[in-house]
Amino acid sequence: MLHRRIYQFLMIYFTGFAALMLVKYSLDLSDYVIPGFSEIWSACRRYFGLYLLAVLNTLSIAILGHVLSICMATVVGIIGRLTIWIGSFIRVAAYNIQAYPIVAVAPIIFILLGDGLSSRLLIAAMICYFPLLLSIIGILSEPVSEIEHFFESTHRMKWQLQVKIRAFENIHKLMTVIVGSATLAMVGTIVAEFIAANAGIGYSIRIALYQSDLAKILVALFLIGICTSIYLVFLEWLGGIIKERIGSI
Amino acid sequence: MRFEINELNYTYPGSVRNVFQQLSCQVTEPGFHALFGPSGVGKTTLAKMIAGTINEFSGEIRLHQMNHVLYTYNLERLPGWSSVLDHLAQITPASNKQRMQELVDSFGLETCLNSRFVQLSLGQQNRTNLTRYLLQDFDLLIMDESLANVDESTKEKIILKIKALYPERCFLYISHNVAEVSKFCKQILVLRSHHKDPQAVLLQGQDFNGRQSLKVRDLEQCMLEIVNAA
Repeated sequence: MLHRRIYQFLMIYFTGFAALMLVKYSLDLSDYVIPGFSEIWSACRRYFGLYLLAVLNTLSIAILGHVLSICMATVVGIIGRLTIWIGSFIRVAAYNIQAYPIVAVAPIIFILLGDGLSSRLLIAAMICYFPLLLSIIGILSEPVSEIEHFFESTHRMKWQLQVKIRAFENIHKLMTVIVGSATLAMVGTIVAEFIAANAGIGYSIRIALYQSDLAKILVALFLIGICTSIYLVFLEWLGGIIKERIGSI
Repeated sequence: MRFEINELNYTYPGSVRNVFQQLSCQVTEPGFHALFGPSGVGKTTLAKMIAGTINEFSGEIRLHQMNHVLYTYNLERLPGWSSVLDHLAQITPASNKQRMQELVDSFGLETCLNSRFVQLSLGQQNRTNLTRYLLQDFDLLIMDESLANVDESTKEKIILKIKALYPERCFLYISHNVAEVSKFCKQILVLRSHHKDPQAVLLQGQDFNGRQSLKVRDLEQCMLEIVNAA
């Protein structure tokens, strides 16, 4: 699984890289605009270790934000599945808020919380929270009537049982959504760092951008891709174990 | 123990076609009864109305000495996280624990107990589902094609067992099998399309319980009456 995902990333990365080189040499652009192979290799040797630490820093925030979002979305999703007014209110609010670009709110968060860990974490969580929430609400508010009917008609249905039935029946969908939102958490963290943070790979990219140093950015992108792929593979592996465990309970 | 339906009118939400128009009928005693009729005539709808899951109708459904009405249908599933045995043990009231083993033996479910519901055949799934309903406290159990995909001899064994174990309860068995309904059911409520008057006809079945001999001539007569009525 790991080698397949990394292989896929490498294919995409080097296709993009080749396209960049094609543009450079076909338009005869200077090394200042698009650096040559030697300059990129030199940047890679010089900044690989430093950027790797920055990516790991970003990844740790993304994972924390992702876990936070999953917990929040589960709690709100459980309330949002209700057919009474509070459920409808949460569903409508979630649909409306998710339509708003959360990135646009990021500067306000930085003004209020400063450029430390909390801002990065909050923005990462917010960016992956709403897609997760909508999916979880959708899954938990969809009755599985052919299973629930018995418990309803014999007055055994409790909210915990209802959530268990619906989550169990949609475990594949839930795992797909969780794995999918991990990428969003990474994007959210990088965006937050890019806007105003003082650490992480997004911050490093911002500095490289001010220096117009595309070589550094290419090294950063390579490391982001590799680390994100590893995290996604880890989540898929975890999802596989959960499915297997549930299947054998 | 009986139920009666008086001047029932019902139209599906968003539809202009009446399903029931001044429908009146009654089942007058406990026993194994049938609700029979062609597809789309409203058998399941009527069953759900009797069970209380559809309430937006005009007219009256009166249940006498029937406090617990259960409705089961053949597409129901058990939760996938537990085995059949665990599920049955969990949902069987303490007062019915002994009956559980008896039903499992009679319904031929011994080999299914340690399996998950998805691992069973369709017939085994329907028998398992029916078993858990029979283990509940009920006065009227509506069985909507609950024995579909079950072979004829097992089906007969199950129906006879139900009749022997629950003589004081009321069952409403929905089936499209004329022979089966004629043979085993006491009263047969034949539901007809809304433009026929009356919309429901009550016929007497052979109420075969396995102890008396079955008169083929009477059975054929009954089947003819059902087919003509429908």
